[in-house]
Amino acid sequence: MSQVALITGGGGGIGGAVAQRMAQAGIALVIADQDGAAAERVKREINAKGGKADAMTVNATVAREVKALVADIAKRYGRIDILANVAGGSAYTKRIEEFTWAQWKEVVDANLKATFLMCREVAPIMRKQQSGRIMNTASNYGVTGSALRTPYAASKAGIITFTKSLALELAPDNVLANTVAPGPTDTPRVMAHESPEARRQRWWPNIPLGRTALPEDLAEMYYFLTTPESAAITGQVFHVNGGVVMP
Amino acid sequence: MKLENKVAVITGAAQGIGRATALMMAREGAQIVVADLQGEKAQAVANELKEIGAAALSVAVDVASEASVRQMAEATFERFGRIDILANIAGTYFPKKSVVDLTEEDWDRTMDINLGSNFLCCREFVPAMRKQKSGRIIGVASGIGHYGMRQFSHYAASKAAIIGFVKSLARELGPDGITVNAICPGSANTSMPRQHRSEEEVLERLRSTPLPHILEPEDIAGSIVFLASDAAKFVTGQSYDINCGNYMFG
Repeated sequence: MSQVALITGGGGGIGGAVAQRMAQAGIALVIADQDGAAAERVKREINAKGGKADAMTVNATVAREVKALVADIAKRYGRIDILANVAGGSAYTKRIEEFTWAQWKEVVDANLKATFLMCREVAPIMRKQQSGRIMNTASNYGVTGSALRTPYAASKAGIITFTKSLALELAPDNVLANTVAPGPTDTPRVMAHESPEARRQRWWPNIPLGRTALPEDLAEMYYFLTTPESAAITGQVFHVNGGVVMP
Repeated sequence: MKLENKVAVITGAAQGIGRATALMMAREGAQIVVADLQGEKAQAVANELKEIGAAALSVAVDVASEASVRQMAEATFERFGRIDILANIAGTYFPKKSVVDLTEEDWDRTMDINLGSNFLCCREFVPAMRKQKSGRIIGVASGIGHYGMRQFSHYAASKAAIIGFVKSLARELGPDGITVNAICPGSANTSMPRQHRSEEEVLERLRSTPLPHILEPEDIAGSIVFLASDAAKFVTGQSYDINCGNYMFG
């Protein structure tokens, strides 16, 4: 029986690439996204190539939606081997005094709370299986900080330490939890706000490998963390950023 | 296969993590230079690789000697004509001594073998990688480089220095498409810790990690192979801890 992976934010960008990479390896996928139509598109692409994917709509910041999603998957598949929490992000760049309380909560919830809610539902299933791989998504900003992105950077730093704590908690049950930290990555969401030329000028001179990341570059790291070769790795942070940050 | 037709030079390849890396890379299609101070053991590993169908060359090398490292590079280019992957795994652990008892010779020897070898090997092989605009360099540091260890201050300093070296070289070589990273293993099930601990102590330490998993050389080799493969082409300047959850610094 193939492994079963749940990928949040799987409807595009890094999450979409993670789904494609895992499908290539024969993993059965549940692509969960707030944008149900986007999840459906990725599902169709994967299935057209002979993969096995389901699409589900979820707002990962809402506890009851997450609970229902995970219960549904458990019922359909009987197991969850891999959880990749990729959903997240931030729509805001502004000074601290301009953030409303609601905006602050929106960003922290989309990143940190969603990660917590997903892990809370999936961890007992993996514990029972005595195996599982969890990959959460931080950012290089979770280590370096970022001006005008205080809630985003704080939530990403929170994800790193949350994941370490979870790794310690779940290790006795052979459930591994690691963080992937992307640097500047050319996702459709980012590219909608910046021209390729502006992006090139802003980033490329500062990146040792001379370019920004593609979602596929990140997907390889998520996939590696599901393989037997990474069976001794837990609680760690994996930066994939062309060398722009070397903590 | 992940490393088809790649040429990999692996120092310290006669045993432990080096040997496991050589075997795993060979299975992934690489041609291997098995380099080690222990020439006979290196030859034995090269024979193992040939048995699984890989091209292999064994070289007896003192990685702390300029002349010896140069000869290793010459032998590599003579046999294979190129280098794609350099895994600097050779290292030393001893002596176990308090800082105040360490002699200058103890200090120099550890620095030369652990850190100097990274410099000497990179200096020999980087020009060829630069010319071909590609290459993968992997240094083996240690969790002790992050964490420190009583009576091993020389070892800890040399391993922490590898991390700084790797970051600097990653910045220097990025524009040429060469990645440089470090792996920081925790205490693994190899002969090295058995040189100063009883079998019981070694096993106790191996079992005391959060994950119920004994850290084997293959666990370290798996990440070295990942960093050497196309899958990690956008990873550079990083140092990855592999330690069954024993510590989490990143």
